[in-house]
Amino acid sequence: MKEKTNYIGHKVNRLDAIEKVTGEIKYMSDLYFPDMLYGKILRSKYPHALIRRIETSKAKAVEGVHAVITWEDVPGFNGFGIATPDQPVLSKDHIRYIGEAVAAVAAKSEEIAEKACALIEVEYEELPIVDNPIDALKENAPKIHENGNLCLHTEIKRGNIEKGFQESALIVENTYYTGRQEHAFLETEGGVAHIDTDGTLVIQVGSQYPQRDQLQLARCLGINPQKIRVISYPVGGAFGGKDELTIQPILALLTLKTGKPVKMVLSREESIISYWKRHPFIMHYKTGIDKEGKIVAQEVKIYEDKGAYSSLGGPVLNLAVEHACGPYRVENVHIDGYAAFTNNGVCGAFRGFGVPQVTFAMETQMDIISEKLGIDPIRLRKINALQKGDTTPIGNKLTTSVGTLKVLESIEECNLWKRRNELSTQDPKKPWIKRGVGLALTYQGTGLGVGLPDYGGAKLELREDGGFTVKIGTVDYGQGILTAYAQIVAETMRCPIEKVKVTLGDTALTADCGPTSASRGVYTGGKASIIAAEEMIQLMKNVAAPLLQASADFIDYDNGFMFLKGEPLRKVSYKEIANKFIDDGKPLPETEGYFLMPIADIEIKNAFGLPHHIFAFSAHVAYVEVNTLTGETRVLQGAEAVDGGVVINKQGYEGQVEGGFVMGLGYALMEDVIIDRGQFKNVNFSTYIIPTVKDTPFHIESIPVINPEDTGPFKAKGIAETVMVATAPAITNAIYRATGTRLYRIPATPEYVYKRLKEVENEKAHKGH
Amino acid sequence: MRLKEVNINFTLNKENYSLSVPSNMTLLQIIRDVLHLTGTKCGCEKGECGACTVIMNGVSVNACLVIAAQVDGSSITTIEGIGNALNLHPIQKAFVEEGAVQCGFCTPGMIVSAYYLLNKNPSASDDEIREGLSGNLCRCTGYLKIIEAVKKAEKELNEIKR
Ligand code: FES
Ligand code: FES
Repeated sequence: MKEKTNYIGHKVNRLDAIEKVTGEIKYMSDLYFPDMLYGKILRSKYPHALIRRIETSKAKAVEGVHAVITWEDVPGFNGFGIATPDQPVLSKDHIRYIGEAVAAVAAKSEEIAEKACALIEVEYEELPIVDNPIDALKENAPKIHENGNLCLHTEIKRGNIEKGFQESALIVENTYYTGRQEHAFLETEGGVAHIDTDGTLVIQVGSQYPQRDQLQLARCLGINPQKIRVISYPVGGAFGGKDELTIQPILALLTLKTGKPVKMVLSREESIISYWKRHPFIMHYKTGIDKEGKIVAQEVKIYEDKGAYSSLGGPVLNLAVEHACGPYRVENVHIDGYAAFTNNGVCGAFRGFGVPQVTFAMETQMDIISEKLGIDPIRLRKINALQKGDTTPIGNKLTTSVGTLKVLESIEECNLWKRRNELSTQDPKKPWIKRGVGLALTYQGTGLGVGLPDYGGAKLELREDGGFTVKIGTVDYGQGILTAYAQIVAETMRCPIEKVKVTLGDTALTADCGPTSASRGVYTGGKASIIAAEEMIQLMKNVAAPLLQASADFIDYDNGFMFLKGEPLRKVSYKEIANKFIDDGKPLPETEGYFLMPIADIEIKNAFGLPHHIFAFSAHVAYVEVNTLTGETRVLQGAEAVDGGVVINKQGYEGQVEGGFVMGLGYALMEDVIIDRGQFKNVNFSTYIIPTVKDTPFHIESIPVINPEDTGPFKAKGIAETVMVATAPAITNAIYRATGTRLYRIPATPEYVYKRLKEVENEKAHKGH
Repeated sequence: MRLKEVNINFTLNKENYSLSVPSNMTLLQIIRDVLHLTGTKCGCEKGECGACTVIMNGVSVNACLVIAAQVDGSSITTIEGIGNALNLHPIQKAFVEEGAVQCGFCTPGMIVSAYYLLNKNPSASDDEIREGLSGNLCRCTGYLKIIEAVKKAEKELNEIKR
């Protein structure tokens, strides 16, 4: 690698930005086909019920209706789900949540489809509801699934927890609750399915992993996956919510049944009710600390509200278990996690994947400890910080880059933290306005972990114009991998970035690169691109050699040319090399790069997927203002120091930090899908509130902590999740600094903050007597 | 069960249209489903997200809240009428350069709101920019780069005028 880079680490404008600002780019929900039908799904009226009868004849008789389908029309396996395929495509007999799909219609217009849906008669027999994970696990709870309500139990014990607590000078014990966050991607689940001229079923719906969709669909449809093509770029936001299948199998069935293109775009309400959310957690934390501030023991119990079907709830629980003790050295641990089925909608993957929940709990514990022991919050974290070579709380040795201390040192130097005492005051004119600065630390595994197929793949084609097209199966849904891949290819091939085209997310064209999740996009696709590019360089050198009358070993390359080492004027352009292939009657070369993600050398028993091997680290600071008369919190400023290895694109890096921070702000203060007795209470943007421009801080400082990860592409890791994870506890810790009121629940809505303010006031008054 | 149709005449991005559409259609459906101009996005159909923002008779509106009959006689500008790849409007250019675009789904609506704001108030302050964009949701960017982009475009537009 050259010392000076042309693209890596620079601020590079998104390559797809121009087509996005002009509105020219076509999202999957922007597609229209001639003679296209519209699909509509009939969803269950009840959160928990048996289906006694489904009658579709009236719906079928409506003019303009082309198909009405139920479970009887599912030719293959009537189930989907990434970890366990226990969710029916169309429900046959047992309804487990209110958004569950029962039947679907394809008709000439949306209106007709809707009318026909209303004419489908479904007879239900209501069943008692299970509405929280603790009740779900009680012996007499109504059974949601045949085998009961336990989706997964993961327990990890290390050291001697009793002894650890005995040796503790201080024990802090609390129970924490986190909300059910909605992804709220601006583009709801939508797209079109059609049958190609060669009989291929083409599904164009926003998704995070087209190759896996293809396999899941083949299983439901009972057809060869080769007969299915999935295209899923570009996507109007995903954040984990489009990792699992959504409308694809139903859209596919309607298209196969009618032989016509069928389009479906969910309304915001249907989107919120029907698909994935962040799992709410209830967490008991008991932490033992010695006099010096060293954590000596920690006991954690987690109850995950899984909702009705598995999807990725098991892996989410395991990631939470792995990260439950934070990036700290803890020798004596007992972590006991339960994912329990309930009738509360469905939950699945969401940026952070179980880590935001436990980070809220752990970092609140750390803040409490820091105060009780009178140890500065950063010093307390440094005392316990995991470092390279250390063993993690769950028992694996950290051998890759570890940035715990580095992010703490960087955040310590930021303006907000240095001025925290002068900033933590009350407004002189409005003494009920109180301000404070809070901090939190986190880390996040990159990639899928042990035991899961975790690989990167890329194809690289030399084009006639001497440029390159890199084809990778991951999807850019905003995070910026398209541009990062182009930078990586341009840097490796030493050509102008304008010469690099990127094709993403298409099973017919792109290499399988695994899911676009787990902060793994840049790492896997980037690394695979480099492997493909290195092979391409060799192939091109071989062709350039006779043109330059030299052996390939003596050829160097730069700026779109290959030349003789030391004689840069004896050169041929990449275009001339491409033409040489053509002149010789050879196809233009396409190379492929594949590699396996490095994994830890041990497995954690009874915890599938654990441990992870590569981690990103981040320290977050929030400066808040609390109106103690109303309980309202405003986040004035934020800062994040992030170790994601080497930064590939400065613009993308800042965009992730700012966007992640604000998504974390929503999680901290406002976002929670309320489900009461299985019924959703807030299903649109006037009741489910996400941060607007008015809620966003005035400034968010993003501090890149360059901590090279030797195994990564240009020594990068991944940051997409960690940037949002520690924001919530940074905010709630700041609220504590401002008001002296500890929060154990997020979202910290004005109602909850106000209630806590009053409680603390009463406690103080009580003590005063 | 055919719904009653209404005849409407209007100009969109300076072109005249004469259509007959079901009377319950919204302007958003007319733009997208009838004319297949898909730069204008749909994020909620309830006036809550701003993805469908267009300019109607000089005022920014949520196209999902305008029904067919109201469109008759109006003049409309969508994102496609503001600039194109060969001729980007300074606001579009600033969005590209400042990194104000991620998934891009909110972007057209955001740009139309900014366009309306800067037309109305060429020296909008930070607070006024926040106010002017407060009806447009963005889930990806955290808004700061959007504000920066609008400020940058504002400066450039004022320089052009001078
Ligand atoms: S689609 Fe019109 S405001 Fe959301
Ligand atoms: S860029 Fe994705 S919603 Fe704004």
